[in-house]
Formats: sequence, C-alpha cells, structure tokens
Amino acid sequence: MLSFRGVVKRYAQPEGEVTVLGGVDLDIAAGEAVALLGESGSGKSTLLHLAAGLDAPDAGRITVGGQTLAAMDDRALAALRRGTVSLVFQQFHLIGTLSVADNIRFQAALCGRLDAGFEAELIERLGLATQLGKYPHQLSGGQQQRVAIARALLHRPALVLADEPTGNLDERSSGAVMALFRELVKAAGSALLMVTHSRDMADYLDRRLWLREGRLHDAPV
Amino acid sequence: MRPSEPERLGGVVRALLSHYWRHRWQAVFLLAGLVAGVALWSAVQIINSHARASYAEADFVLGAQATHWIRSRSGAGVAQADYIALRRAGFRQVFPVVQARVSTADNTPLAIIATDLLALPEGMAGEGDALGGANLDWLAFVQPPYRAWFPPDVARELGVADGAQLELHDGRRLPPAVLAAREQQGRQIFMDVGAALALLGRDTFTALAVGPVSPEVAARLAAALPADLQLDANQQRLDLTQLTASLHTQLTAMSLLSFAVGLFIVFNAVRFSLWYRRPTLRTLRLVGVSVRALALAIVAETLVWSVVGTALGLVAGWGISHALLPSVSASLQNLYGAVVGAELLLDPVTIAIAWGMTLIGLAFALAWPLLLQLRGPVLPGGGASAGVLADARARRVLLIGAGVLALAAVGVYWQMASVIEGFVLLGLVLFAAAWALPQALAGAHRLLGRALAGAPLVQRWIVSDGWAQLPALRTAMMALLLALTANLGVETLVGSFRTALAGWLDQRIGADIYVNSAQLDTRGFVADPDNAGWLAAGHARTGVTLRWQGRPTKVYGLDTTTPDTRALPLAQAVPDALARWAGGERLILANEQAHYLGGLRLGQSVTLPTDDGPIDYTVAGFFHDYGNPYYQFYLPREVLARGWRDVSSTGLALWLKPGVSAETAETALVAAGVQPGEWFAQGDIKRLSMRIFDRTFAMTAAMNMLTLLVAGAALLTALLAIVHERLPEFAQWRALGVTRRELLRVIAVPLALFVTLTWLAAIPLGALLSWLLIHELNVMSFGWSMPMLWSPTPALKLGLLSAGIVALVLVIVLSQLTRKLPQAMAQLGSSQ
Repeated sequence: MLSFRGVVKRYAQPEGEVTVLGGVDLDIAAGEAVALLGESGSGKSTLLHLAAGLDAPDAGRITVGGQTLAAMDDRALAALRRGTVSLVFQQFHLIGTLSVADNIRFQAALCGRLDAGFEAELIERLGLATQLGKYPHQLSGGQQQRVAIARALLHRPALVLADEPTGNLDERSSGAVMALFRELVKAAGSALLMVTHSRDMADYLDRRLWLREGRLHDAPV
Repeated sequence: MRPSEPERLGGVVRALLSHYWRHRWQAVFLLAGLVAGVALWSAVQIINSHARASYAEADFVLGAQATHWIRSRSGAGVAQADYIALRRAGFRQVFPVVQARVSTADNTPLAIIATDLLALPEGMAGEGDALGGANLDWLAFVQPPYRAWFPPDVARELGVADGAQLELHDGRRLPPAVLAAREQQGRQIFMDVGAALALLGRDTFTALAVGPVSPEVAARLAAALPADLQLDANQQRLDLTQLTASLHTQLTAMSLLSFAVGLFIVFNAVRFSLWYRRPTLRTLRLVGVSVRALALAIVAETLVWSVVGTALGLVAGWGISHALLPSVSASLQNLYGAVVGAELLLDPVTIAIAWGMTLIGLAFALAWPLLLQLRGPVLPGGGASAGVLADARARRVLLIGAGVLALAAVGVYWQMASVIEGFVLLGLVLFAAAWALPQALAGAHRLLGRALAGAPLVQRWIVSDGWAQLPALRTAMMALLLALTANLGVETLVGSFRTALAGWLDQRIGADIYVNSAQLDTRGFVADPDNAGWLAAGHARTGVTLRWQGRPTKVYGLDTTTPDTRALPLAQAVPDALARWAGGERLILANEQAHYLGGLRLGQSVTLPTDDGPIDYTVAGFFHDYGNPYYQFYLPREVLARGWRDVSSTGLALWLKPGVSAETAETALVAAGVQPGEWFAQGDIKRLSMRIFDRTFAMTAAMNMLTLLVAGAALLTALLAIVHERLPEFAQWRALGVTRRELLRVIAVPLALFVTLTWLAAIPLGALLSWLLIHELNVMSFGWSMPMLWSPTPALKLGLLSAGIVALVLVIVLSQLTRKLPQAMAQLGSSQ
C-alpha cells in the first residue's frame, strides 16, 4: 500500500544542512497497521508528511497504492489525499463553521464516497449520536478527536496516516480512543501508519518501527 | 543587581514591540492605516490653510483689494493724460489697469491684465515685491520689448515656452513669455501697461485702481476727477474667507472621512496584532510583570506609533497636497474667483492636530483593546467559543451604537441650520450605517445558510466559512461601506449638478453669440439698420454692482421682449410672475442664492440703494443661477435705468437670422470695434462651462478615488490577516484533499458575498447621502437647488470597481498562499 525506497530528506538549518531521513526503505501492506516510534526530532512527522505528499523527498521514491508521488501534480496529490489517504493529527482541525454531522461527512463528501451504513456505525461506536447538531467549539477535546477520526475513516481510505492522534487527550481517554481507532481502521479496511512516542499506543498496532538517525529499525536501538 | 524601573519598562516595551519585528506585515498595515488617514486629512488641511492665507494677501493683479475704481462714465476708458494729472496732483495711490480678452490662433480665450509696475502704491505689492516674489527681472517688464508673464499651467496648456511669443487670432504676438507662478495671478497673463496698450492698439486704460485711502483722500480724489470719470467704491471686494468657507468645510469633511477609513485599517491591523500578542501578554503577566508596567508599555508603544505614523503621514500628505492643489485651485477659482498660489506651507497647528488625532485614534484602536485585555484573567478560558461569542457581542454593541447614532442623526436633522451641522448629520448617518453593517451581514449570511440547508455539503461549507471570515472582514466591510456610500452620494450629486447645469445652459444660453466689450455701443449696434439683414434679435444687458446684506450683488436690467427673458426658467415664482415683472409692477427677480443664503422669500421686499434713495422691490420669483457666489437680481432694463442712471453695459446677446453664418456677425462686430476674444459662440460657452464644471469637481473625484483605495487597502489587510491567522487551518484542509481552487473558493465566495451585500447596502445609503447633499448641504453651502437624478450607472461602475479591487486583493492573497502553504503543510502536526 505504501512504499519508501531510499528516501532522503534534508533540511537547511542555520548551522548547516541536516539529514532527517537518510535513505529510508519502508513497505506497509494493505490493511496493515504500523506504529512509528522515535525520539522528538527524529523525523517521524517528516516521514508521515512525505507519505501524504505534503512534502517532497530530496531523493528516493515513494509510492502510495502503486502511484509514484513524484510523478503527481498538485491536483493529483489533492485527489490522492481526499480519496486514498486520510490524515489524523494531534490537533483536530475540525471546521468550526460546520456542524459535527457535516464535519464527519466532510472528506467523504469531497471524494463523493458517502456510506450511510458505515456513517451510522462510526457515529454509534464513537458515541457521537447526541452531538451531531453541535458545533466543534461546543465539544470537549476527546469528542473533537472522535469526530476527526470519523471524518478520516468514513470514506474508507486505503491508507490512514496518523500523527500522535491521542496526544491531546489524557491517559485514560487515550487508551479508549486508541482502541476504538484501531478497530475502526480495521473496519474501514485501511492500512495505518501512526506516529507516536508512546509504546503503549504502539502496542495497539500490528508492527512497530523505530526511527533513529534517519533510518528505520525493527527494534529500539 | 535589580534593574531600575525604566530598565524594566524598557524591557517590557521591547518585548511588546518585538512582535512587529517578527510580524512585519502587521507593522506595515498599522502604519499604512495611520499614514493613509493622516496623509489625506493633512493634505486637505495644508491646502485649506494655504488657501486662507492666499485670500488674506492683498493683490493688485485682480484689483480685488482696490478700495475704489475710477471709471469712465461714457465707457471711453481713462485717458493717459487724466491719469498723469492725478499722479501729479499727489494721488500716489492711483494706478492704471488695462484688462482685455484676446484669443489665440486656435481661438482659446485669454485674459490679459496690465498695470504700471512703477506706479503701484506701497504696501500693495510694490515694484520689488510684485516680481521679486517670483525672482524675475522686473526692469525687463517695463521696457520694450517687454515681457508677458504666464502662469506655468497656462503656458503648458498653450504650449508656450520661456521666451516664446504667443501668436493671437489676428496675427499679433504677445511679448516674450516669462513662466513663473505667483499668488493671485490665476489664469491671467500679466504685462506692463505700455505693452498692453501697444498690443491692443488702445490709448486709454480700462480703469484706474485706487489703493487704500482715507475717506478724506477719497473725497478729494472724487473732486479732482474730470467730468467723464467717476470714483466708485469697489463693490467687488470679496470676503473670500466667508465665501469659500463652505467648500473648505466640504473638503475637511471628506478628509475626516478618509482619516476615519484610515483608522479602520489601523483597527484591522491592531485586531490581528492583538490576536498574535495574546501569548506574549500572558507570558509577561505570568512572569510577574505588573499590569501597571504593561499599561505604561502600551502607552509608550502608542506614543511611538503616533509619532512615526504622524511624521510619515504628514510627509505623504505634503506630497498629496501638491498633487491635489491644481484641482482645488480650479474649484476655488471657478466657484468663487478666488486664486490660490502654488507654494504650500505646513504649519505647526496642522502638525499638532494631526498628532493629536492620531493619538486619539490609536488610543481607541490600539491602547484601549490592549488595556481591556490586561483587565481579564491571566489565563484565558473558553477557547474558540469565546472568540465566537466575542464577535457576536461586538456586533451587538456596534448595532446598539448604530441605533444611538441614528437617533442623534434624526435629532440633528430637525435642528440643522449650518453647513457644519449638515456634515455632522452626514457623519452620523454614515457611521450609523457602518456600525449596523456587521449585524446586517451576519443576518443576511444566516438567511443564506438557511436557504442552502439542503445544498451539497461542499457548497454549504464554502458559504458557512463566512462565519469564520466575518470577524476579520467586519472592519474592512465598514470601511468599504463608508467609501462606497461617499462615492455614490457624491457621484449622484455631481451627476445631478452636471445634468441640471447642462439643462440650465441650454435654456439660458439661447442666443447665438455673446459679446462682452467695453468698446461696443450695444444699443446702437442692435438698432443699426446695417445689421438688420443678419440680426434677428439683440439683448443688451445693463447692470450695476452694489452691496446687499454685506455681499457684492449684481442688479441686471433685462430686455423683457427678447427670447431668453421670455423663457427665463424660474425655480419658484408667484403666479404669472414674468408677465407682471415685465409689466413694471416694481417686482424683482432674485437668484436662488438670495433665497437660500440671503433668506429672501417670495413676496418679500428687497430694499436697494438707487440714485434716488432706497427703493423697495417685491420678489416675484427666484431663478437658478448655478456657480455664482453672488446675490443677483433682475429688473426690467427700463426700471434699472430709472433707478441707476449711470448703469454700464454688461453684455450683448445676439440671435442670428436662419441661415446666417457666424462669420457675418463677427465681421460686423469687428467693424464696430469689438476685439477678437470679446465674443463667444453659444457652443463655445457651453463647452467652456462644462469644462470648468469638470475641473471644479476634479478634486472631489480625486478624494473619492483615494478613499476607495484606502478601503481597498483595508480589505487587503483583512484578507492577508485571515490568511496568516488561518494558514495552519488551510494547510490542514489541503491535507484533507481540498484543492487549491476549492480553497480559493472558500476565501473568495464569502468575501464576494460580503462585498456584494455591502455594495447593495451602499446603493440606498448613497441615495440618502446624495439626497442630503443636494437638498440640504448644497443649498446651505452654495444657495442653489437642483433636482436629484439617480442613475444606476455610478452604482454599477462602483460595483465593477469593487469587483476589480476584490480580484486584485485575491490575486495578492493567492500569491501569498501559494508561497506560504507548502511550508505550513510541511509543519502540520508539529507545533501548530
């Protein structure tokens, strides 16, 4: 589903060029859930951004669903993100001017893939049935994150990219939301690459990878 | 060692101001608002104070400040011998004046004025001053081949270079040209009296002007005059300050509007600087900086901005005043005959007021909101909902304020008696509308949202984003409404005036040729059997100038049988007014100025000082008299001749028989001694009048355009602020798969909706404004009325212009987005 081959990413810093990813190879199969761990600044978010086509690598090749990102123009990348890839961030970034119901349907409406049955299931399992007419500012942080998860999954994307999706929640809520998230990703039939620095959260997923000094490792180094 | 209080304060000020170093665009917009406001206001102030200074300067060129005139009773002019005799008799205050109108080879009319520089009385721009001020060689003026002194703009229009000799219609040439600007010269070409007499082929002066003299000297002078000469007090002497007060008030009002629109930009910029600085203020308070120290730092910041903004604004205002001066000069000269010089001065009072206004504006826009923020808790609660609630609260407060202003406007309307009160009313109406606008936009937006309830989600999302934009666009929309309303109001006023003037000219300028020549015996010319072959009718007007209600007033004697008199349009009249007036019932017709400014009413009596003492005339009607700053009365010619036996001819209107060419009439006029340039064809007068009209309102158009540009800048500020503030949100949307085009639509559609609603609101408001301007302000300012003609064209034009501004703003915003979004997308999820 997602493939990195020899991906290099460097950033210019005042003290000189810094290589964040130094030739990363990665394969995630359809429906597979992978946790990406690493220290702050190790390049986890950069890798995620590259996978979503939000940023471009300096070298190497990235493919999503068999499509090479480097060959795609802005419009094709936007189409990829609205239909194939879904992103979930620590900040929920719900649309404040739309109701909870509309926020949940937003991405599915963009790609024209509304599924009423799956929508009802997501709403029920995420406990949002009583919140649908409300607006994001009227919800708690946990509720907002549930809406963001529903939005990311409703159109059943082939790949979900999540960056610390429970980072804004307390420990108890985090566990519950994470368990639910994992189940729903599975229900949607999506592959998942999740960045986290919490081993507990990583334990919910099929496979764990560690990013250190620009390279991926199967075990903590 | 603990830092001292000033050191601590300095640190806090640096921390507050460092924000602008990181967010330079906010500093730029804050400054742009201050500079735009101060510049437009100060430009008008500089021009106004300069114009007033110009009026105060006595000047010989126009003769406006001469206390008396010596003129020939017979119209033959003043013989040089009589002038020399008076000088030899010790009357050193007497100096000769030759005035003439000539026309260039391409028939452009020119006014020539000449005097004897060596004879000018002291204190009335004597020899040295008259030319010294312009740094010219005055000796060259008084010796052959003489010099013709052209104002630079006239020389430019005519294509006359320094030293060139302009050729006239009849092949004569003016003396070599000297180009120099001088106070009060206006559009007249000045030369020595010897040069003028030689050029015109005359041996008499038009008149002798008399400088300041005591009543005793005036009496001795009158006694010393030969039989054909008479001494008249100069009734034309104008109180220009009084006459032009209305125009200056109007300009000031427009400049204050510009200042207000500028302040809207400041409000905008401050809103976003506040938003960005909330964390800084919070941190400073958390680390123990007292509210007092922060308040002092805010005051210091306000002072810094006020000084920088005022200084830059004044510099810009100085430049703008130079650019606008020709338009204002044209307005003043065309409306009042007042001539304003070219040198501008920036006086300390203007600087002080500009600084004071900027400080007050900043106190409201910057210091007050910052201080309010300090009064709140150190750690804010409520999050996003607090922002939504604050916006709704702000809209409600503005609406209540609008209601108060509207009530005050109604109160002022019923009590209004002066031009200044009129402008207060306009200000109240404009700001009431502006303050009500955000709530109106919110209401309309809510209705649209409801109407789109069943529409596809993406459409609803695009429209609903207006709620997120409204708080940021609120101020810019208010500024836009002010600018659009002012533009529409003034455009309708000017359009109505132009149409009324054109119609009035068509009615009043009915004759084919108009002659104004001191040399022509008008009655003899009309009665001459040699002219019967081509002349259908001739209307020789006579007139006297006197003072009525302390103002120069013309009383004209009209031929009651001529077509123009029979068709004289009256704005108000008693029944059968013209017939009764012509029938000699001791009725008089007055211009509207005498009605609206002089307080005269139909049926009232006007007492005029005739040769036989004061006589009462009853007002039978008021006629339109556009562009005239004086009171004016019409009497039948015979009635005028009975009351004032020394009336002078003031012009002759000639109607040609069908099929007769203008050349035939012109040949006859030349044969009768009329010089080219002393007659005008009907079409030329109309064209000239309309050209003068357009020049007169050029300043209005310029100010309107500048105000609209300032509003456009407010819009740009707001949108750029939205982009900067919401960049992480936009990046997130892009991450969700929103295309660039959809993102642009989200920004553009609500903006277009708000601009369209604002434009729609400006149309009735503009009509209300123009109604007030035409029926109240204009009448109070100038004393003439006109029908209000509403046309959709200005509204459509402004709509297109607004659309153009929006498009331009969107292009700038899009380029900013294109530049900044990739970085924002790359930072998603990191430190949002």
